[in-house]
Amino acid sequence: MSDRKIILEFNDKVVRQFMLASLIWGAVGMLVGVLIAAQLNFWQLNFGTPWLTWSRLRPLHTNAVIFALVGNMMFAGVYYSTQRLVKARLASDFLSSLHFWGWQTIILAAACTLPFGLTRGKEYAELIWPINIAVALIWVVFAVNFFWTLARRREPSLYVAIWFYISTIITIAILYIVNHLSIPTSIAHSYPVFGGVQDALVQWWYGHNAVAFFLTTPILGIMYYFVPKAAGRPVYSYRLSVIHFWSLVFLYIWAGPHHLLNTALPSWLQTLGTTFSLMLWAPSWGGMLNGLLTLRGAWHKLRTDPVLKFFAAAVTFYGMATFEGPLLSIKSVSALAHYTDWIIGHVHAGALGWNGFMAAGMIYWLLPRLWNKPLHSTSLANVHFWLGTVGILLYVAAMWVSGITQGLMLNATTESGTVLAYPNFLDTLNTIRPLMLMRVIGGGLYLVGWLIMAYNVWQTVRGAVPVNGTIEVFEDAPAHDEPKSFGFVTAFINPPVLFTVFGVTCACAWMFGGDFISIAGLVGTIICAILAYAHHESRGKKWGDWYDRLLGNTLPFSVLTFLAIVAGGLIQIIPTVVAHNASSNEDRQQIPYTPLELAGRDLYVRDGCYLCHSQMIRTLVPDVLRYGDYSRLGESIYDHPYQWGSKRNGPDLARVGGKYPNVWHLRHMEDPRSISTGSNMPSFAWLLANTLDTSTLARKISVQRTLGVPYPNWTPEQIMTRVDTQAKAIAADLKTAGAYVAPEKEVIALIAYLQQMGRAEMTPPALTTAVK
Amino acid sequence: MFKRLILEESATLFTLVAFITASSIFLSIGWRALRMKRPQLDRFENLPFATETPSARHDSEA
Repeated sequence: MSDRKIILEFNDKVVRQFMLASLIWGAVGMLVGVLIAAQLNFWQLNFGTPWLTWSRLRPLHTNAVIFALVGNMMFAGVYYSTQRLVKARLASDFLSSLHFWGWQTIILAAACTLPFGLTRGKEYAELIWPINIAVALIWVVFAVNFFWTLARRREPSLYVAIWFYISTIITIAILYIVNHLSIPTSIAHSYPVFGGVQDALVQWWYGHNAVAFFLTTPILGIMYYFVPKAAGRPVYSYRLSVIHFWSLVFLYIWAGPHHLLNTALPSWLQTLGTTFSLMLWAPSWGGMLNGLLTLRGAWHKLRTDPVLKFFAAAVTFYGMATFEGPLLSIKSVSALAHYTDWIIGHVHAGALGWNGFMAAGMIYWLLPRLWNKPLHSTSLANVHFWLGTVGILLYVAAMWVSGITQGLMLNATTESGTVLAYPNFLDTLNTIRPLMLMRVIGGGLYLVGWLIMAYNVWQTVRGAVPVNGTIEVFEDAPAHDEPKSFGFVTAFINPPVLFTVFGVTCACAWMFGGDFISIAGLVGTIICAILAYAHHESRGKKWGDWYDRLLGNTLPFSVLTFLAIVAGGLIQIIPTVVAHNASSNEDRQQIPYTPLELAGRDLYVRDGCYLCHSQMIRTLVPDVLRYGDYSRLGESIYDHPYQWGSKRNGPDLARVGGKYPNVWHLRHMEDPRSISTGSNMPSFAWLLANTLDTSTLARKISVQRTLGVPYPNWTPEQIMTRVDTQAKAIAADLKTAGAYVAPEKEVIALIAYLQQMGRAEMTPPALTTAVK
Repeated sequence: MFKRLILEESATLFTLVAFITASSIFLSIGWRALRMKRPQLDRFENLPFATETPSARHDSEA
């Protein structure tokens, strides 16, 4: 062992790159956000172009904010703090560079495809399959670079921030890959392997945990590093941070089904989602208090230090959003709030308040250190803070009021609950228009604040020389004694792990097994609990030693985190996958789409109709009164991807088929206001001009067959004959009604799709009870 | 099995099991955290300060 000391230079170049990328893409994402918010008030703002239309730009906005703003900021924070916490330079400059440029290429690819309608039709998972593969590969590059750095570390202990980063890397990889499993039909199109309720569940298992493990856990890690650094004092309670980490990682993964309350999702899953969501209150608030109390004794600095201002406000918004989330997961609250602007307000409290302000605080803290030059203007940073805060409050308050107002109006009934008080959806929409305008102002203020930061950064960086941090370390000796390393046997074959595995297995047998297996599972669970308690009492030290060693050993720590996360996902998804067949469809079964309807459905997905129109009539009286009989599990069984939606800027369409004549739909697409006075839906006139592309239809139907949709083995000629016949029938019907559209136009296919919605065949009760 | 989970009263069992499971996690980790010794805690919570960073220079030059 050498006592020679060397100066280690950190790779801060990649930190600077990610930080600036976050700043730039953040401005782009917010600009698009303000534009689409304005489009809800002024539908003309798409200027008649498809690629500037709300439903094409909304995915661009969400992807830019999540993956570009927060993603880049997260990578900057992770790389900066990890190098210092483990006293090691990033393992590979090449991988760091590949990570940065690969990620920016992905973002650019997303920006170039989403506005043109190249989408998978699943929220926050819209990117087409070639980009998805790139995301997975670059994420692996990130993981290799990160874990390789940990392997070369000179600090044996892993600070809690590193735990949060590990959980992020592992969980996002699992979530992303599972939710993006697709079968391509062309270079830019694919169908997800999951369909109907399966797809809904997988989507929100992903969607919710993307919030949890992309927007929350890495930022918490950043909070646990940067807030103490900025405040100049250690975290308030390290004990609390330990509890915060484990309980958050364990609980979050189960909460996804709360996005599907009162829907056709099996009720046990809804209950599970609600319960775990409510339990998230405890760790979230524990973490929030830990962050705020870290500022103890430093509150006076908030007057002058913009960094601490941003951090304090960000952590407060974290607390607010994590209070609101579980609240919205209560079924009766969800009945009011779901599909309304309340959810939008909730999301933006998190994105703008928690993520945006943490990003700003981190950037202001890093900037002078990475360029060794004081910030250009503290006053401008303070102006940014106040503009941002007022902007968020305006935005969020407007969305709360808007959501509650519209929710109450949509659910209001008279005549002893038998008649809707506001039967016209547009009445509710036009009531909230002033609030939608206030949202534009709030978002605009926040964007101006962000641009001020960009100016401040530019002025600071201009003419400054970038500097990399350094540290003096022993050449080849660790700074402290290494913790005892684990062998495989010691890591996984030990009392805590074995009792946990045995207990979970028995509990699963109890919950999901048949009569005998269920009883055996119950007995096994009780025995396991008693034995575990007894063993812990007699050999408690062994349990403690194992845990302490776990904290210093990256591989077993990561594997066990992986298992904790996978368990939550599997228990939710496997029963739904197994039961996703014709015998579990309650009393209705979807009829597969005709080729023309399928082509129309792809247009529906391309133009993002699902972003404003749900296809899920909830098991709620007002929903049934307004839209018709509630949606059944079997009615979307062949939908790849599912299109239940999550927001109603317009009415639900689950049973719109046959409700209006073909010409109504034609006029509505051409000029929505000619049919629905006061509508804010943009015109989709290009559907009347564009010719339907049927070149990949045979391949699409072949893929649908592979996915289990019972299509006959048609030849391409048979498929085209069916398309022609149905299209000509619709065109002829339109002509009769006084409208002429050629049968090969896109709008004909879309009308065919819309007119079959809600069409299902009844299934005999014997079939649905046979599986009991 | 699936229909039973949808329809039967036993579905309420899930809330109880969820609560017990989560409580076990809270208690176990809480117990471990409380038993962490002061020197160990001090060492962990000071890790962000183990590496020197330049002093805060975000004050304006003016």
